[in-house]
Amino acid sequence: MSMDLVSASPAFVLGIPLLFAFLTPLANRVSKDLRDAMFVIGLLLTALFVGIMAYEVYTSGSWIYVFGSEESRPTQTASYFRIMFAADGFSALASITMVITALGAGLYSFAYMEGNTGMEKFYTLFFLTLAGVMGMVLTADLFNLFVWFEVTSIASCGLVAFQNYKVKSVEAALKYMFISVLGGLFFLVSIGLLYGEYGVLNFFLLADALTGGMIDKVALSIIIVVFAMKASSVPMHMWAPDVYAESPGSVTPFIAITSLGSLFVLTRIIFTLFRYSFGVAAVGHLLIILGLLSMFVGISMALKQSDVKRLIAYLSVSQIGYMLMAIGVAFATLDSADYSSFGAMALEGGLFHMINDGVYKALLFLSAASVVYATGIGDLNKLGGLAHKMPYTTMFFLLGGLSIAGVPPLSGFSSKLLIYQSVYLYHPILAIIALVVSIITFALIGKIFYSAFLGPDQGLTRGEVPRSMLVAMGILTVVVILFSLFPNYVVAEIVVPAVEGLGVVA
Amino acid sequence: MNQWVIALPFITVALLISLGLYTILFKRNLIKMIMGLAIIQNGVNLFLVSLAYREGYAAPIWTSAPGEDMVLPTSHALTLTSIVIGLATTALMLSFVIMLKKHKGSVDSFKNRRCRE
Repeated sequence: MSMDLVSASPAFVLGIPLLFAFLTPLANRVSKDLRDAMFVIGLLLTALFVGIMAYEVYTSGSWIYVFGSEESRPTQTASYFRIMFAADGFSALASITMVITALGAGLYSFAYMEGNTGMEKFYTLFFLTLAGVMGMVLTADLFNLFVWFEVTSIASCGLVAFQNYKVKSVEAALKYMFISVLGGLFFLVSIGLLYGEYGVLNFFLLADALTGGMIDKVALSIIIVVFAMKASSVPMHMWAPDVYAESPGSVTPFIAITSLGSLFVLTRIIFTLFRYSFGVAAVGHLLIILGLLSMFVGISMALKQSDVKRLIAYLSVSQIGYMLMAIGVAFATLDSADYSSFGAMALEGGLFHMINDGVYKALLFLSAASVVYATGIGDLNKLGGLAHKMPYTTMFFLLGGLSIAGVPPLSGFSSKLLIYQSVYLYHPILAIIALVVSIITFALIGKIFYSAFLGPDQGLTRGEVPRSMLVAMGILTVVVILFSLFPNYVVAEIVVPAVEGLGVVA
Repeated sequence: MNQWVIALPFITVALLISLGLYTILFKRNLIKMIMGLAIIQNGVNLFLVSLAYREGYAAPIWTSAPGEDMVLPTSHALTLTSIVIGLATTALMLSFVIMLKKHKGSVDSFKNRRCRE
């Protein structure tokens, strides 16, 4: 493999899904089997290039890919005009999370969406969403970020409303779209403010140029609100439960991944731009407050839900809170000696939790979708005894559920332990609230498990879900088990380079 | 006088954005709400275009630049992108509204609240 292909891998990570988005409808003209094969090939190729990029980052360090330029290090003039992608540890971690979930959700779609017409359009939207989130986490340019933000919004709304005979799906999609577009417009205003003031949009040039004046503060405040909204942080979370609950089952983990992608972008913007313009304590405390609110409100709303997907949606909102809190603690301590004693650990915990959360949440959403697929019922009061007929789904749900609840020795525990330890040193009350929320999460997982899977067989289903769905969930399960068995290895090889990629040195 | 001419687009921007936000917040008809969004969008586009203007500067054409200061180049690209994206989002949202109208027979946002039940 030539060196050029390796250095251009960030462009391929984005280009392959974009290309296949428009190849699948063409392949559909030939045959349906070719179309389905193209879908899998596209996903695997994307995964391959993410692998190449990540391997290169981990072995020979990060680089900046400049579109349409020969040099790998941009010149000053090029920085003003060219689009750049940052291939560093942070984008590697983010794109690995995206691609694992996309593989799971994609394979799951085959059997789940069977019987729907126009599947080539589904694949197109799927690939466009994938390209959008990849672009969001890879780009190092605000203008480019806006474009991928909108691509992700439009394509993922199309996916949510794909089964347009379901009125609730359409309604949820409209709600999501409305909020995304409004957010995107205000993001554009803040881009305009920064561009008018400094004449640059590149993250690195902007980081050097920012002076911390009033305009910076207004622009960066808008950015933080928009991305916290897309990441479904309380109090901007109201779209999330509707969208997660009403989207087609195989799409839900993918929508969850777009909000995780927004959280990745928020983290990168905070650490590259905010650091030099705001006082770190103000932003850090804001994030901690958002995190606490998300954890607490998310879990309280989850308590009263009886629909299985809606319940998991609220659990997912509360998980976002853990990451916001960890990032907030890391950021608040950035300029003091506390950073090396526990701030770095909080950041590692937060990033490790992001990759864990992406995977186990996908597993949880897919196993909930399997329950709905097999029985046609989402109401926990009417479900019961599924473990008799669906042993594999039961196992997958239990694994995902115990991981989200942070039960040792699963992967969710390893990352939450890092968060507990570090935020305890910042302020004990944070760790106590986080622990209480974890315990309630465990209780809620117990509630779903007890009411849907345990008890006498009620004859709600004839049997296990199709094999391809089991394989998709199996892939995610293997990843969860690997992360659970080797947390030290994952932290050392994936999370620490990501922390370095954010430009933070302990 | 000249100050006023330069400030005029920004006053229009503020008016357009407030008008759009008012429409979104106080109208119940979904189509009118989407129109409000489109008004905000035009306000933002006008904001970007007027931002790029620098009095007396040349047009930002790199090859034929007479060597003097040029107006900000990227704003126009940003505005064009924003207009295209705006068309896509507005069309998609309106098609969602058509589907809702077919299902429920209403474009009232208060009557399209199935998810809450």
